[in-house]
Amino acid sequence: MMPASSVRLRLTLWYTLALGLIVLAFSLAVFLFVKDRLSHQFDRGMAKEFATLAAEVAEDAGDFAEIESPSLFEVFQGEASVFRSAHFRKAGLPESPGAPAAGFRTLRARDGERFRLLAGRVKNDRFLVVAQDEESVQNTLRTLVAILGLALPAALLLAALGGYILAGRLLAPVGAMARRAGTIGAENLSERLPVGNPEDEFGRLAAVFNQTLGRLQAAFERLQRFTADASHELRTPLAALRSVGEVALQEELDAAAYRDRIGSMLEETARLTSLVESLLVLTRADNGRLPANRKLTDLGALVGKAVEDFRVLAEERNQILTADLPAGIEVSTDADLVRQAVVNILDNALKFTPASGTVEVALKNRAGVLGIEVRDGGPGIPAEDREKIFERFYRVEKDRPRDAGGVGLGLAIAKWAVEANGGFIELESREGGGSTFRIILPK
Amino acid sequence: MRSGAVIYSAGGAAMKILVIEDDRKIAQALRKGFESERYEVAVASTGSEGEALAATRAFDLIVLDLMLPGRTGREILTAVRGRRDATPVIVLTAKDTVEDRVAGLDAGADDYLIKPFAFPELSARVRALLRRGAGGAAGAPAKLKLADLEMDASRREAQRSGRPLGLTAREYDLLEYLLRNQGRVVTREMLAADVWKETRRATPLDNVIDVHVARLRKKIDEPFAVRLLHTVRGVGFILREEEV
Repeated sequence: MMPASSVRLRLTLWYTLALGLIVLAFSLAVFLFVKDRLSHQFDRGMAKEFATLAAEVAEDAGDFAEIESPSLFEVFQGEASVFRSAHFRKAGLPESPGAPAAGFRTLRARDGERFRLLAGRVKNDRFLVVAQDEESVQNTLRTLVAILGLALPAALLLAALGGYILAGRLLAPVGAMARRAGTIGAENLSERLPVGNPEDEFGRLAAVFNQTLGRLQAAFERLQRFTADASHELRTPLAALRSVGEVALQEELDAAAYRDRIGSMLEETARLTSLVESLLVLTRADNGRLPANRKLTDLGALVGKAVEDFRVLAEERNQILTADLPAGIEVSTDADLVRQAVVNILDNALKFTPASGTVEVALKNRAGVLGIEVRDGGPGIPAEDREKIFERFYRVEKDRPRDAGGVGLGLAIAKWAVEANGGFIELESREGGGSTFRIILPK
Repeated sequence: MRSGAVIYSAGGAAMKILVIEDDRKIAQALRKGFESERYEVAVASTGSEGEALAATRAFDLIVLDLMLPGRTGREILTAVRGRRDATPVIVLTAKDTVEDRVAGLDAGADDYLIKPFAFPELSARVRALLRRGAGGAAGAPAKLKLADLEMDASRREAQRSGRPLGLTAREYDLLEYLLRNQGRVVTREMLAADVWKETRRATPLDNVIDVHVARLRKKIDEPFAVRLLHTVRGVGFILREEEV
């Protein structure tokens, strides 16, 4: 479950981080907006205050003491300060060396408080400066920051918690799939993962995984059947080996007879060896460890050589073996593999064609592909067997004596050898009418 | 089986073969087989024993199993070649992948055989390597002879008791191979590889070979009193005067 919870954690973290950034930006905007609004309002209030005071200051004769105002203000006559209100004096603002320029500015008092000042001419050379403590604005802003500062982490925490729970619920099917997948082994390959909603991502994942399981199961069953067949095929020569040896030991024989028994045992050994050899070829082919080694090959010559090699077998059985092999058809292919396929199919064709029957071999150059055809005069292959004859150890005639044929791997090897070259084998057959194996190779 | 021509070293003493093989049955079979062909045989059943023997005594050839307890065959081979010791080495291996072969030959093996192998084939490879070592690459003789069977390899003609045999090309190649190996058993695998030039071991050529041998026998033996081409059941064929 660790990987799932780490995805869950990562999801939550990313989600929280993104949300945090958004909320932070939003808070900043709110803060700036509020601050701007507040300052604006404050300044408007001051301007009003300034106008009221300015009227009184303008009419005043000269000592300004009668002016009743809670405001802090200072009056300049020319460059010299002529009056400061009581509050103004208490505020402890730094003294201005002369009449300040007209307009707003901000000053810091000696105790650190911030004051907003508005200066302006009242009449002639009389100037008025109004000051107001900005603390109320600052307080409001501080409160806003405090609220945001508390609310933001709390909101993030809540969101993270919610996200964590949500991610957990979303990822729950993964956990369920993982638990089920963990229990599926060789002995219960037929089990499948639960598919929640086949339309969503997890459902599709489960479906794909189930398809993989299906293929695995098929492969595993094939392997089991193959192992069973292989062990049967290996047991038979072993049994022969053993009984010939045991019986020979029980008998009193002369040297020649013993030699004959040993020879018989060696024959079984040869059979075992070639069986193991074929099995190895197929196993390695399954593992993809026998890559095709392509080079330009004259197919006519290659097939011709195979036909000539096997002609003696046909002659022995009075079979007619014909070959129609146009010259000059060259293709880039693994000659060894193609030869192996041709030889195995030819061997098969001769084996199943009765004495004085005909086996025809032809090389055809068609659009896009090359075909090597081997048409035999055998009994034909029943429709239900046509796919299976390329399977390992498959024999059409179950009751055929073992000595009559090989071990049933020849066509499987041929199929692999052709497919390793990017081609395939076609089979046409009529019951009672012979079969045509066609090796199709890409040009 | 009596061997035909035995190869002796320059001094006339028997050639010495070191067999490094941990399977006792195989090791004993090889010892008996080589001794019946008049070689002197030493057997080492572990890698370290084999390496010690190879380092301290002189051998004309080493038969080396690749999978050994202690030191692996590959390590021994590297050690032998590291000493600039050019003793021919035939590697025996149960793994027959292209990579294994290449690795073995790269490490300095002169030849390799895949288990299970036929003893006659190992014996033929040993002879070939020893001949090469003895500078015997003077070219194969053109005139071959066994009893009244004669062959002129330069003219691709064969006759028995002066009568031409009328062989096909394949039969001629087969007879030449048998004549060059006369007195020794030749396996079907050897014929497939050397006469038919078949590179893949799983190819079903045995029936083809048997038919050719039967036809050859008809031509060289049937009209004559003494049979020369014999079948050794379960092993292969042998060309010689005496009955098997």
